[in-house]
Amino acid sequence: MADKKKRKRSKDDQAEDLPFKNILESDDVILQLLKSYISSSLSAAAAGGSGASSSSSSKPLTLADLSLSSSCREVADLSLSSVQTAIETVIVQITRSILAGDGFSFSVPSRAASNQLYVPELDRIVLKDKSTLRPFASVSSVRKTTITTRILALIHQLCLRNIHVTKRDLFYTDVKLFQDQTQSDAVLDDVSCMLGCTRSSLNVIAAEKGVVVGRLIFSDNGDMIDCTKMGMGGKAIPPNIDRVGDMQSDAMFILLVEKDAAYIRLAEDRFYNRFPCIIVTAKGQPDVATRLFLRKMKMELKLPVLALVDSDPYGLKILSVYGCGSKNMSYDSANLTTPDIKWLGIRPSDLDKYKIPEQCRLPMTEQDIKTGKDMLEEDFVKKNPGWVEELNLMVKTKQKAEIQALSSFGFQYLSEVYLPLKLQQQDWL
Amino acid sequence: MAGDDTPAETKKKGSSKKNSKESSTLKQKSPAEFFAENKNIAGFDNPGKSLYTTVRELVENALDSAESISELPEVEVTIEEIVKSKFNSMIGLIDRERVDTQLYDDYETEKAREKRLVKEARASEIQAKNLASGKKNKEPGVSKVLKARGEASYYKVTCKDNGKGMPHDDIPNMFGRVLSGTKYGLKQTRGKFGLGAKMALIWSKMSTGLPIEISSSMKGQNYVTFCRLDIDIHRNIPHIHLHEKKANKEIWHGAEIQVVIEGNWTTYRSKILHYMRQMAVITPYAQFLFRFISETPEKNVTIKFTRRTDVMPPIPIETKHHPSSVDLLLIKRLITDASKKTLVQFLQNEFVNINKNLAARLIGEMGPDFSPNMAVKSVTSQQMVRIHQLFRQAKFDDPSGDCLSPAGEYNLRLGIIKELHPDMVATHSGSAQVFEGHPFIVEAGVSVGGRDVKQGINIFRFANRIPLLFEQGGDVVTRTALKRINWNSYKINQTQDKIGVFVSIVSTKIPFKGTGKEYIGDDISEIATAVKSAIQQCCIQLKSKIVKRIQAREQQERKRSLSRYIPDATGAVYDVLKQMTEEHTTMRKRYREEETAMLEKVSKSIITKETLKEKLAEHVEQVDYEMALEYATQSGVSEEPRETIYLQHLNPNTSNFIDLHSPTFVFRLIL
Repeated sequence: MADKKKRKRSKDDQAEDLPFKNILESDDVILQLLKSYISSSLSAAAAGGSGASSSSSSKPLTLADLSLSSSCREVADLSLSSVQTAIETVIVQITRSILAGDGFSFSVPSRAASNQLYVPELDRIVLKDKSTLRPFASVSSVRKTTITTRILALIHQLCLRNIHVTKRDLFYTDVKLFQDQTQSDAVLDDVSCMLGCTRSSLNVIAAEKGVVVGRLIFSDNGDMIDCTKMGMGGKAIPPNIDRVGDMQSDAMFILLVEKDAAYIRLAEDRFYNRFPCIIVTAKGQPDVATRLFLRKMKMELKLPVLALVDSDPYGLKILSVYGCGSKNMSYDSANLTTPDIKWLGIRPSDLDKYKIPEQCRLPMTEQDIKTGKDMLEEDFVKKNPGWVEELNLMVKTKQKAEIQALSSFGFQYLSEVYLPLKLQQQDWL
Repeated sequence: MAGDDTPAETKKKGSSKKNSKESSTLKQKSPAEFFAENKNIAGFDNPGKSLYTTVRELVENALDSAESISELPEVEVTIEEIVKSKFNSMIGLIDRERVDTQLYDDYETEKAREKRLVKEARASEIQAKNLASGKKNKEPGVSKVLKARGEASYYKVTCKDNGKGMPHDDIPNMFGRVLSGTKYGLKQTRGKFGLGAKMALIWSKMSTGLPIEISSSMKGQNYVTFCRLDIDIHRNIPHIHLHEKKANKEIWHGAEIQVVIEGNWTTYRSKILHYMRQMAVITPYAQFLFRFISETPEKNVTIKFTRRTDVMPPIPIETKHHPSSVDLLLIKRLITDASKKTLVQFLQNEFVNINKNLAARLIGEMGPDFSPNMAVKSVTSQQMVRIHQLFRQAKFDDPSGDCLSPAGEYNLRLGIIKELHPDMVATHSGSAQVFEGHPFIVEAGVSVGGRDVKQGINIFRFANRIPLLFEQGGDVVTRTALKRINWNSYKINQTQDKIGVFVSIVSTKIPFKGTGKEYIGDDISEIATAVKSAIQQCCIQLKSKIVKRIQAREQQERKRSLSRYIPDATGAVYDVLKQMTEEHTTMRKRYREEETAMLEKVSKSIITKETLKEKLAEHVEQVDYEMALEYATQSGVSEEPRETIYLQHLNPNTSNFIDLHSPTFVFRLIL
């Protein structure tokens, strides 16, 4: 008891020192503000109909709507049997070609940067239709062709047996040929692209990376999961999205966190109980499962998504991967991207706004500045003038800061002051 | 010893600039005294380094001397170990047995001895065990007994050359007095301090007290001067023991200098050998014979670096100072030297890149106190400052690099090939550039592969055609090669390949850093950029060679590397076919007609793994043949450019040949 009292007192003392604490309204007021924001944005979406691109409630546009389906490539979820048939068709073709004495080759859609296209109407990156030929009888491609053949055979087996394996499992079936996991992983993406199906439909999953905690209840393979009762670490996001369903939530928003450290802070402080929300992190660059999960949440629960990332070019890059997709998996961007993510912080303008001390800011390296400048050329940044302004400021000041920079005001500054204040001011872009 | 006078003053200038505070005390000391007290700045930090520096000073003097008369240098260096008893007898001291053993520092107490014996016993036990188990025996670690204090080693260093030699009467002064120069001007010189053998003499005086011995003869002299002398450090004058003329039986010209100093061969052995090797790289037109003679014959070393070419770089030309490079002290000295001239003449004649017109304009700019026809000697110290300021601010043309004598791409290349025998080598010579009024030229060579070359990047640095061995880390060449060159983009593997990077910088003033003048700082962007681009030029040349080589290798290995994957690929295809057949026969899945036809062939073993393999192998063979044909027509029959070989001149004086005659040829044994 005495201990508890002491802690409470020290907390109060600290509170007086915390900058901006005084302008923070009470939690009830903030909640009220949030509620009105959400209802207004929902009604605006309803009223605006399909006109506003940001409205998530309208039926999403597809490539076909834009008559781009011929020049762009997109994959779909396929059933196991159709994957099996697709593989068999390819194999039969190959066999015929070998028997005719012509060797064989694969036509693999190119996933190079030059074959990517940002479609502003869709607000995501899509893959163009360029393909490269991978002949067996060429020194430069013989390895990849062989690996592709092998992966096709392995996936054929998975289809027959109807089981899931991880990418690591797949790699270990023939370590001698694959040599290192990045090779088998890359070919796996090629194969799903080639067969025109999502990677999940190949029955190959990645190890769990993302975690979720907060006001969310869903079923994972039939078990009901309550994410408020998952302890401090939260629930690992299941790698297989088709087993996830029945999402329910009383949250007001989804908080997307770039890093583990900030996630742990928020989870331990039970931030989601103070402001009803769902907290998600993929611990850095997001994996497929986390992206699928975020999209599913957004689509089913219709909640605004607020992102808390580092104030550096990579933070924004991660944000863009959630929002518009990565170039590596652009063929499946329709399923992997979450529209309308708001950039809550830490934004370059916050550094001065919240008087983050000099010693917590880091100078940007040459590489950072170059990345920043390159990002300014990217379409998904350009479409949001607010982002361009922030990024310009970052490149100009040549300063970056991590979320942890806020800890200079105390470890709990993030959950006690910064986030509530941001919510109160609805300060997101 | 020809080049000695000029650098001596360069040094003086440098030191006075560096520590102007000390200069007041410095004036009262003889230069010899100053260097005796600050011997570390001349590279005499410790006995080992002193031995190294002595060798290099003698070798560099020898090269300068031979080059000054355009003679291909032939240098013989001998280091002879002198054990203590021999040394004592040399100085006439009787060897004394230790009587009071406990008096000495290395006295071993009873306890210490017990400890040592136990340790040694254990070590030998381990050794025996290792021997029994067939493990490779490591060098016994106990052999490194700390050398006791006062247990110095002495060496007799002899250096003989075929250079200019020295006039009989000048020899005492050339060695026994640290001269201040009479000439002025600027020149690319080898020596870093210009003290030459004098510093070695001071060191011998300090460590052994034995005099230096000089034999010398000039071209056309019928006698050889022999001189034994040492130096009176405090008065800065030579102290002559013997100065006589001997008969010159061999018609030899050059100099032979012998000095006995304290040194340390064990710790500086590799440095000295590296020095000789790198010197051989940068001066392939010289012949070196290096010998180390020890009491224990197995330690003896004899290395001969043979001559590979008889093309010598031109002798560096003396040039005048560039106005933007002078400091106040130098202006003062130049004015004193040219006291009879008028100001306009002074400006016009004493500096490069100032013509009469510019001189007049400069004088006009200096202000009303100056006039073109005023005598230079009437210029006051304030006015000197004004001149100096104007020199700093005004714009002058860059000095030309004509006064420099770079090693030359040809020589650098030969040197690298001769000493390293690399698989590939590329060289590049940059054009002259300027740093603070001093012209400089950067030449670079990059080699891949070779004999006695370590994996990774091996850096060879040269400044004014002498190797730099110490303080590699901060040097501009090291930093550039390790950090600023992207070796991968030239298809060179930075860690796996044996890469040699050779950079030679020549200048009228090398901007050395550090007390020992052992490296060139990384902060001079002009030099850093020049070094980088020179190395890159070499890499670009190498890249095309490497790419060609890789292509050729691919040609040879294409079939093998393709065939290697046949079993994996066909195996995977067949696995799927087999599964499909099973599905088909158990009627679990229906297939289209053409597929069914194929699957039936599989089940009847008409199509097997083997047939797939054979067919694919046939295809690979076909492709390989076509590509080989294409490669051959594209590349044609081209041969590597041939290297000219260099045949040594025979000594015409020796005629003791043995000729073996046969009807078709004569076989001559050259002894």
